[in-house]
Amino acid sequence: MVFLTLSCWIRSRGPDRYWKVQEVLKHARHFRGRKNRCYSLAVLAVRRAFVYATKARKLKKRNMRTLWISRIAAATREHGMKYPALMHNLTKSSVQLNRRVISDLAVTEPRSFLSLAKLARARQQEGFRAALGDGKEPSGVLSRVVMLQ
Amino acid sequence: MTSRGTPSRFLRSVLQNGVGRYVCQLKRISIVFSKKAQSSLGARDFIEEGVVDYANKNPGTVVYVSPQPCRVPKIVAEYLNGNVREETITSKTSQQISELLTKLTNQSGLEIIRIRKPFHTDSPSIQGLWHPFTNRPPSIGPIRPQKPDS
Repeated sequence: MVFLTLSCWIRSRGPDRYWKVQEVLKHARHFRGRKNRCYSLAVLAVRRAFVYATKARKLKKRNMRTLWISRIAAATREHGMKYPALMHNLTKSSVQLNRRVISDLAVTEPRSFLSLAKLARARQQEGFRAALGDGKEPSGVLSRVVMLQ
Repeated sequence: MTSRGTPSRFLRSVLQNGVGRYVCQLKRISIVFSKKAQSSLGARDFIEEGVVDYANKNPGTVVYVSPQPCRVPKIVAEYLNGNVREETITSKTSQQISELLTKLTNQSGLEIIRIRKPFHTDSPSIQGLWHPFTNRPPSIGPIRPQKPDS
């Protein structure tokens, strides 16, 4: 007698579970607690992590800009000016440096930043003279508008 | 694909390659293909036409050609820093395989992962990094040798 039905009852249920689970767990290996080991907890945590990563791409740009602005503000206050005055006068003198470059200058080239602050202060004084003066004084150097043809 | 969960590196060159001499970073190329299969047709054509020219043009790279019974023909590129890159060439034409080889030759062996910044300097500061005493006037005057009391 040979028993044949027993082997017909054995089914292979899907041979790839290990790799599908590892695909999710590999993104969770640096998490804290059981989320880095147990699949059911890791799935939720990995999904949250990816959602936070997508949302953070916009936030990163905002945060970097506020960081640059606070660094530039601190550096200008060392030289006796304020951040809005510096940026406004730099744009009026057609210095088209963005906040990232100016904050890097403030950190790595302090003397160049000092010269930028002096330029902005000179332009500010010219603006005050033009606004408060009587018009008999000559117009300033930095506030001359260049017409390109 | 979080930035902390996936590896990342800084932009760099291998030992300032190219500043003085340029050394091709590709050490070894092994072309694994099959003699009979239909997916290795492009590989076989490339080996008939282009492999010798490629080997002559890149004298610093060793080219191994190994026909073996394999389902998937591939190119295994090893670099001087030890990294190994495998590219499959199933159903590629000879032209595409040569383009792929030029791409591999021009790469340095550094990993292809996220590069944190698209720039790198060895000397980021010329005027000196800012420290809290940069813009402060000194509190004592210049130090002079004491005058001898006569």
